[in-house]
Amino acid sequence: MSRMITRKEFLKSIGFGATALFWASTGFGFPGKDNQKGKSIKGEIFVGDAPDRPSRWSREGYYYETVGETVQCQVCPNRCVLEPGDRSICRSKVNIGGKLYSLTYGNPCSVNVDPIEKKPLKHFYSGSLVFSIATTGCNFRCLNCQNWEISQKRPEDVRYFELFPEDVVKQAKKGNIPSIAYTYSEPITYYEYMYDTARLAKEAGLKNVLVSNGYINKEPLIRLCRYLDGANVNLKSFDDRIYRSLNGGTLEPVLNTFKTMHQEGVWFEITTLIVPTYVDKPEMIKRMCGWILRELGPDYPLHLLRFFPRYKLTRLPATPISMLEELRELALREGIRYVYLGNVPGHKGSHTYCHNCHKILIDRKGYFIAQYNLKDGRCKYCGTLIPGRWMEGARRRA
Amino acid sequence: MINDKRLIIWSIIGTGICSVTTQLLTIREFLSQFHGNEITISLVLFCWLLLTGIGSLAAKPVRRLSVAGYSLLILIIALWPLVQMIVIREFREVFFPHGTSPGFYPIFFYIIISICPYCLLTGFILPYALKVMQEGQYNFTSGDLYLTDSIGDITGGLAFSFVLVYWVKPFLTIAIASAFLILIGLILLLRSRRYVFLMAALVLCSVFYYYSTNRAFEKLTLSNQYGDVVRYVESPYGRIVVSKEGPQYTFWESGVPLYSDANIIKSEEKVHYPLCQQDKIENVLMVSGGLGETLGEVSKYRPAHVDYVELDPNLTDTALSLGAIKKTPFVEIINTDGRRHIKMTQRKYDAIIIDLPDPDTFQINRFFTSEFFALAKKVLKKGGILSLSIEYAPNYISEIRKKKLSTLYNTARLHFKNVMLLPGEEAYFLCRDGKLWPDIPARLKLKSIRTSYIEGFFYGNITTERIKQLRDSLDVNEYINTDFKPRLMNIVFQEWFEKHGTSPGYFVAIIFVLTVIYLLFMKREEYILFSTGLATMGAEMLIIFAFQVIYGYVYLKIGAIVTAFLLGLLPGAIVGNVSKNKDTRKLLVSEMLLLSLLILFFIWLAYFKSELPPLCFLVYGFLFSFLCGFQFPIAAGIIGEKRSPAAGCLAADLCGASVGTLATGTILIPLCGLQFAVIFLILVKISSSMIIMFTGKIRD
Repeated sequence: MSRMITRKEFLKSIGFGATALFWASTGFGFPGKDNQKGKSIKGEIFVGDAPDRPSRWSREGYYYETVGETVQCQVCPNRCVLEPGDRSICRSKVNIGGKLYSLTYGNPCSVNVDPIEKKPLKHFYSGSLVFSIATTGCNFRCLNCQNWEISQKRPEDVRYFELFPEDVVKQAKKGNIPSIAYTYSEPITYYEYMYDTARLAKEAGLKNVLVSNGYINKEPLIRLCRYLDGANVNLKSFDDRIYRSLNGGTLEPVLNTFKTMHQEGVWFEITTLIVPTYVDKPEMIKRMCGWILRELGPDYPLHLLRFFPRYKLTRLPATPISMLEELRELALREGIRYVYLGNVPGHKGSHTYCHNCHKILIDRKGYFIAQYNLKDGRCKYCGTLIPGRWMEGARRRA
Repeated sequence: MINDKRLIIWSIIGTGICSVTTQLLTIREFLSQFHGNEITISLVLFCWLLLTGIGSLAAKPVRRLSVAGYSLLILIIALWPLVQMIVIREFREVFFPHGTSPGFYPIFFYIIISICPYCLLTGFILPYALKVMQEGQYNFTSGDLYLTDSIGDITGGLAFSFVLVYWVKPFLTIAIASAFLILIGLILLLRSRRYVFLMAALVLCSVFYYYSTNRAFEKLTLSNQYGDVVRYVESPYGRIVVSKEGPQYTFWESGVPLYSDANIIKSEEKVHYPLCQQDKIENVLMVSGGLGETLGEVSKYRPAHVDYVELDPNLTDTALSLGAIKKTPFVEIINTDGRRHIKMTQRKYDAIIIDLPDPDTFQINRFFTSEFFALAKKVLKKGGILSLSIEYAPNYISEIRKKKLSTLYNTARLHFKNVMLLPGEEAYFLCRDGKLWPDIPARLKLKSIRTSYIEGFFYGNITTERIKQLRDSLDVNEYINTDFKPRLMNIVFQEWFEKHGTSPGYFVAIIFVLTVIYLLFMKREEYILFSTGLATMGAEMLIIFAFQVIYGYVYLKIGAIVTAFLLGLLPGAIVGNVSKNKDTRKLLVSEMLLLSLLILFFIWLAYFKSELPPLCFLVYGFLFSFLCGFQFPIAAGIIGEKRSPAAGCLAADLCGASVGTLATGTILIPLCGLQFAVIFLILVKISSSMIIMFTGKIRD
């Protein structure tokens, strides 16, 4: 009878096993959670997924290039190259017969009226309401998306309202709502619809608010900025590897968006979701604050939001409040003047304090305003000009 | 002196002990690592049986045999479970982004990769053992092999289910379960005078015992997933881990964060939406969800008595010791199944608050069914309120969620005159015969109750338009959710697949094609073993799920159920083995008895659905597997060792078992209900009976 394996092979396997166990005991050698960071989850083009012809809710794209029948969308840094019949990463753009079409024009799947603070915007007409619309689609693949049922869907897959730009403006005016927000999913993916609506809204004296991940190219953004009054843009982390592995995007274009909006004079606020083990390192927040101060200045508010398990990221704990407080203190110490905590009801980090005299300017009870100590956009106590867009006498008082 | 034959027999028993214990531990591990539902259980069992079957087939052509080689293989079988457990825990972080819940296909591939070496080896070892025996001129048949293996399986199942699961953590369980096999392996090596191998094996075994008995090491293997672990309890109901991030404690139950400090939104929503509807609150029943701020919010109503029911005493004990449940005089913690409590209690309640995740298991589905609502209503005072919630997205209600909300709404409406939906962070269902007020802040103001979230955020988040949108999305024609036709669970599964953008369709199609190919190439008699394996595992799945529906704590009893099935195999195999005439008549009689058992189950399911004592399920499992055990040596005897050696018979049995597990556990039961699954098994058994009838005379 012959042996199953050679002695050498056997000893080799013993050595291998013992080494593995030794590493295990030390806690080193196991590929830990850092291993996944940097591995991109960027979406892919949907080959052959386009409809045969444009529908009633299709518009030819405003920014694209063509080479023969191949088109390249120029709205966001994904710059999807689409052959005829292909659909973009965001699921909203398609190549039909050598032309780029947006399939999300006048067919929002979500229409609501929200408090402006919900976006969140705390220095933008506090106490007002905002007419909020969204179509399907997103150019990211965030593992913790809270609107995945619209952001990760094709426009054909959902129920929708028929609201063309003029109808949106009409409805907002009818409800006496001063602003329109392009929100919930990713408005950059329905750029054409947003742009046309924003233009009409501006003409009608309404404000336009963008709530976005900021993943947009410079040229379409500059053109959009003409009509934008306010924005809340997510700065999902300050680490390109995390952007790739948690969101399927990259950091640089988002930073460029902030710089462009700053140059174009659009009021914006920055939101960072503090995701435990991903976006919770004080060192990262410190670097982030440094960049903000250097490139944008100290005036744009920073919202640090508490994370709760969502979508595919359900095996992480909620962010500890103490961690949020610590990061808020750090950001204030670094020089950001307005740092807010979100998703923590009743926390003092939701109020607005004067950056000069530190007295409460806006005492908030959730979306309500209990005290409003601003006059003509200045602190009632020390007269300091408070950055933001203000209106006299906030509407929703407790 | 003990001869090789006896040692090999002991080693087969040892392999059984080790493999069953490892199988049960692996199921529990995957339940903690992934989605803790029936799909995971059946996927693990499917992969396990399939790989073991392939392992058995791989032994078919093997001609090079040696006792020393055999001893090395059994030593690997004894030691590998520890490596497998470490691999499952640690490589999760390599294959999947940290903190994520993967979808169906990634889970499937992860299971198959991580258990592959062990299962192939355990499948390979049994026919290999038989060949070694036969080469040594020892008289040992396939039936003997089956019987001996069953003894080991039963011993392992009993030891795990009745002793180890209560007292010992997984690594130590492995150390204990492998001890016997290690001893036999070392003796066999010593007898074959392979001293270098023996020395190496001794070193490896020392390393194995050092790590498997080291508690700190075991805790360390969890830290990548959980972070700073401050408590780790392997409860019979699941794995409880408490991690600490700064001053915040997070309680994890089977891998999912159950509660983190200061979740004010959830605490206020679940307590105040129902309780503020009542004029006076005396008695409250809370089913789960009592950690953190919840009881503090309830106390704002100054109730006379609160019953807080939580299944797992380890969870409440840990929470009490860490201050996550404050000791309150009017709160009584009852550790039992919530539904059982509602059935047995004499107390009448003003409000029942159910705080459970979406029903993606039979255990949880039991709290969302028509039968449950009927029970709950009996313990509610006149005008009492029942509250429960379900996940949804406030900004868009998708078709699948529309179905989910409608099913629950229609089910609740069967028992309550008014059912109101509030679009909070979750969709809250308030069920009552009396009036319901949607303006929660106004009700709270009336009662002078202060809140942090509701006062400030309710009117902004739960607008009249959003309430109307939610209400308008309901479809009154949607199905009703019941215990044995779990429509809601089915919808939650569909939602899960949709969330991950996958469908099990391709998987099912591939398995179907492979099964058909296998069936075409197998011998007719092997099909009988295939069908019996299929029916046995199918019946095991039926019992597990029926048990889950009635008692709701399968995590604890899964070992007992698996053991009951194993326990029947042994006497069955003995009777079959000693039977002198291995003819088709006996096979046919056993087929008829199996069919009768299935029909009996169907009748109970279709017409009675009465709550039977747990023993009935265990006895049923025993009888079923007795017949399966009986068939193996008879069928093997009829086929003859030359036509189909043990490897072929074992492979047919195991492959049938894997298909049975998959078809019933993953597809039919979750998607079509228990009745469909029984009908499927009856049809399979009818087909095998017909084959016996048609081929019987030829073989005799």
